[in-house]
Amino acid sequence: MDEELIAKKDVLELTGISYGQLYRWKRKGLIPEAWFIRRSTVTGQETFFPKEKILARIAQIRSLKEERSLDELAQILAPEAAPVGARWDDPTALAPIGKAGKSLLWKEGGYTFPELVALACGAQALRVGVRPAEAKLLVDLVREEEELLRSPTGVVVVLGEKAVNLEGLSLRLTLGVLGREPLVLDRESRVKHRVDLEKVVEQVKLALGEVR
Amino acid sequence: MERHNVSISGAGKITGGEYGDVRIAGSGRVEGDVTAEELCISGSGRVQGNAKAREITVSGSAKFAGRVEADVLETSGSCGIDGDAEVKEFRCSGSQRVGGKLRAHYVRASGSLQVGQDVEADVFTASGKFEIGGLLSADRVEVKLVGNSRAREIGGERIEVHTGSGFSLGINLAGLRLGRFATGSLTAETIEGDEVDLEATAAQIVRGKNVRIGPGCEIGTVEYSQSLQVHEEATVRNRVKV
Repeated sequence: MDEELIAKKDVLELTGISYGQLYRWKRKGLIPEAWFIRRSTVTGQETFFPKEKILARIAQIRSLKEERSLDELAQILAPEAAPVGARWDDPTALAPIGKAGKSLLWKEGGYTFPELVALACGAQALRVGVRPAEAKLLVDLVREEEELLRSPTGVVVVLGEKAVNLEGLSLRLTLGVLGREPLVLDRESRVKHRVDLEKVVEQVKLALGEVR
Repeated sequence: MERHNVSISGAGKITGGEYGDVRIAGSGRVEGDVTAEELCISGSGRVQGNAKAREITVSGSAKFAGRVEADVLETSGSCGIDGDAEVKEFRCSGSQRVGGKLRAHYVRASGSLQVGQDVEADVFTASGKFEIGGLLSADRVEVKLVGNSRAREIGGERIEVHTGSGFSLGINLAGLRLGRFATGSLTAETIEGDEVDLEATAAQIVRGKNVRIGPGCEIGTVEYSQSLQVHEEATVRNRVKV
């Protein structure tokens, strides 16, 4: 999936933020290093960003900035600042998981951060009508990926579906795939559900920040 | 647990670990990672691991094979750090090299500073020569040019680059006017800031809100959003108001 890019100067013009703010937010880790894409243009080197992500992030920083310090924001938004070691007993209290996630729980509390993200991926799928057995595939794929959650930019979890015709018997197989964009499936398969891991990680972090 | 102070005043070595104050006045070696209150090297010292201390001072020659973490890092001799440096206050007046990334609240460089990757600070002031392999980013960048400095990119809120007072080479050659090399120069690919004020700088692109291009500058393109002043002894090939 090709993301639409936006030049740095256009970000500044569109949002009205200053160079000072942009560089400060970068230093604090509020804007991930991976979003800074350097390209050669006719005028020389220029930096581009994934448009949708950077605009959403700037809006987010601005709305949260009122009540929290930049350092607190960094804790929430910086990808490498995934809360390690902490455990949560009631995942359904977190908005991204919610009641929909109830059917996905597999133990009595003590969920780690990667497990919460996994549950959120599953719950999100359930909400758009994915069957519970398939949502569980997503959960299983993500729950052990602690390392990956530190740099989730461009990582997707996908449910792919393949239709197979065997002597008049038609089967539909679903498989879960964890990978980085661009993800390519064969022509007989289609993407049934796609999760942008970076977004889910962020949602879970924000929700945790609100609970605490 | 009580932490012991150690000092090496002849030649010697200590093993890594946690100490109170570590002083190396002769020639000494720390084998492994070291954590200390104060680490003071005034002779020749070598840390063969990571170093973490509240205060690190180097006035002789020191080598750190790993990363360095400190509230205050003050070097006045020759100091080489192979890994990253993460400090609150960083002052170097000798010859300083950081192989990785330098992160600090405050950087004051007056000797020669060489950093392999990015430099990130709230305030960066330099009155010596520097070479930065990556991005120099700070709220305030204040440079008084002495030698020929370079950085791949510079970005921040307020960027000021001025030619030095030139008490060494500059004043002797002032009558000859050897162009920008007489009092130092700065070379960068891009410079971006809200308030940008440059002298004796060569850059492909300068972007900013209020930009002043002073004498001795050679700029490919200036993109500005509010104001642009160009000195008559400066060259700007393209001016774009955005």
